[in-house]
Amino acid sequence: MMATFTLFWITLPLFVGFGIYLLPKLARVLAVAVSLVSLAYGLWHVVYAEPMAVTLIDSFGVSLLVDQLSGFFVLTNAVVTAAVVLYCWSSGKSTFFYTQAIILHGSVNSVFICADLISVYVALEVIGIAAFLLIAYPRSDRAVWVGLRYLVVSNTAMLFYLLGAALVYQANRSFAFDALTGAPAEAIALIFLGLLSKGGIFVSGLWLPPTHGESESPVSALLSGVVVKTGVFPMVRFALLLPEFDPLVRFFGVATALFGVGFAVFAKDTKRVLAFHTVSQLGFVLAAPAVGGFYALTHGLVKSALFLTVGKLPSRDIKSLKKNPIPTSLWIALAIASFSISGFPLLSGFGAKVLTTKNLLPWQVIGMNIAALGTAISFAKFIFLPHTLSSQDQAKKVPGTGFWLAMAVLLGGLVFANIFYYEAYTLSNTVKPLVTIALGWLMYLLLFQRVSVKIPRVAERFDHLIGAMSLTLTFLFWMVLA
Amino acid sequence: MFTLEALILVTVFCGFFGIILKKNQMMKIISMDVMSTGVITFYVLVATSTGFMTPIALPERGVSVDSAIVDSAIVDSAITDYADPVPQAVILTAIVIGFSIQALMLVGVMKLSRDNPTLECSEIERSNT
Repeated sequence: MMATFTLFWITLPLFVGFGIYLLPKLARVLAVAVSLVSLAYGLWHVVYAEPMAVTLIDSFGVSLLVDQLSGFFVLTNAVVTAAVVLYCWSSGKSTFFYTQAIILHGSVNSVFICADLISVYVALEVIGIAAFLLIAYPRSDRAVWVGLRYLVVSNTAMLFYLLGAALVYQANRSFAFDALTGAPAEAIALIFLGLLSKGGIFVSGLWLPPTHGESESPVSALLSGVVVKTGVFPMVRFALLLPEFDPLVRFFGVATALFGVGFAVFAKDTKRVLAFHTVSQLGFVLAAPAVGGFYALTHGLVKSALFLTVGKLPSRDIKSLKKNPIPTSLWIALAIASFSISGFPLLSGFGAKVLTTKNLLPWQVIGMNIAALGTAISFAKFIFLPHTLSSQDQAKKVPGTGFWLAMAVLLGGLVFANIFYYEAYTLSNTVKPLVTIALGWLMYLLLFQRVSVKIPRVAERFDHLIGAMSLTLTFLFWMVLA
Repeated sequence: MFTLEALILVTVFCGFFGIILKKNQMMKIISMDVMSTGVITFYVLVATSTGFMTPIALPERGVSVDSAIVDSAIVDSAITDYADPVPQAVILTAIVIGFSIQALMLVGVMKLSRDNPTLECSEIERSNT
């Protein structure tokens, strides 16, 4: 029964996605309806955490695994898609945009329930295509170039992944995730290279800031909120199913958390701060795989809220934002999201941080604390922006209903998600994030606000992105052998 | 078998280094195609590890869809030299995906070539970031 419903749910976005073309007037309604179905499905699996494994057709068929972890990721996808559609409601986007958004939604969902290497490959490639079409939607030269870059990087990474999958099959005659256990080191290195690049982790994540920074706000919100998590999810799954990968995944968690936040602290462009910060936050998901789902949910909601809000600000440059006060209503949305991601109590970012901290291994603790401090520093940039209550000319800059509906969904979700881990609210748990935030703000006001370090963008150039893959591959191979 | 495997890996790396070293965006895309051809061939090679025969059930080879008429005497010798159908089925999907991505990238390059006729990667990058 549940298996039938799962199949119905996974194919629904594809049917609706193409069906939208036949019913262009209903595009937005259908898009929201599909995400509501996913919302119900995700909630069901989060609340009734009964794992369900299905193998379709035969022994070589597609294998699916749905459990609480998938539930959290599906929930993230549902809420973010719904919010983005609401945000675009009166922006005059064409049917094509909604078709791609829904196909993206469906393929992202399928990554979260797949349990074999090839199904994951197919879903990731479909995501790549749909994401490219969404990035290139404005059809300006810049948009096409950013999309093309993304497509080449992701496709090259996926070719390595495919090679790794072939080696796994050669060794164990199976494409299921468990077949990785006896696979040769080069197979594992190749598969991880594909997933690290796709998920924007550590050095392989340098494609992410230009891509997420240059896309339109709703597309950035989708990419940062859910799409990168499709690269991360299989790694979390490996770490949980096969204990021998747990140290490797945790290591990359800490490495990317520090790497991303190091860039985010010094970035001067709002969208680039957010994009680098995504690279860092994915580290928190990987650092404690067992509870990564909840972290992914809170991060997805916060990051898409931030991208949507920042898109409405008059400028992207933090320096010029400091000179011209922003409308207070926008500032409130920005501040709520920034508080959540810094781990301030009352918002679910706090619960997620506490839960992740509890599941860290001793050698990870120092690194993750530094990353949390870096988060507080980089979001102090947003919290301390000057703002005014809307005067006459400010009133024009305040966005319309669609924006506020999206914010209500995302920020409301942040408050609501507290119920998943209300046990976090004890005195000792509350003190630590508050101290971290206070320390972060202090460091920002006294030090980071004044320094101006320009980190060269040379590593983000196209050739270097591809070249870095060969280095990462060598590094991975060495790590797997070790 | 070993030589073949080595040659296939050489193809993959030729493609990969082409993506890095070629300056022209068009050549990069063609290099990617070379790389993906290498990967596809590798799947075909993996499939042949059990045999070279087309994996189709035929009565004269001792296998039939209706298993009741299988001659067990022939089966032992006959069945084992079939090529493994699973990697082939899998790579078929990957070929289609690779082909469609290739098409999409070419459309993107066509669009870019209007304002950047040389299609030089570093030039496009400089004017668009």
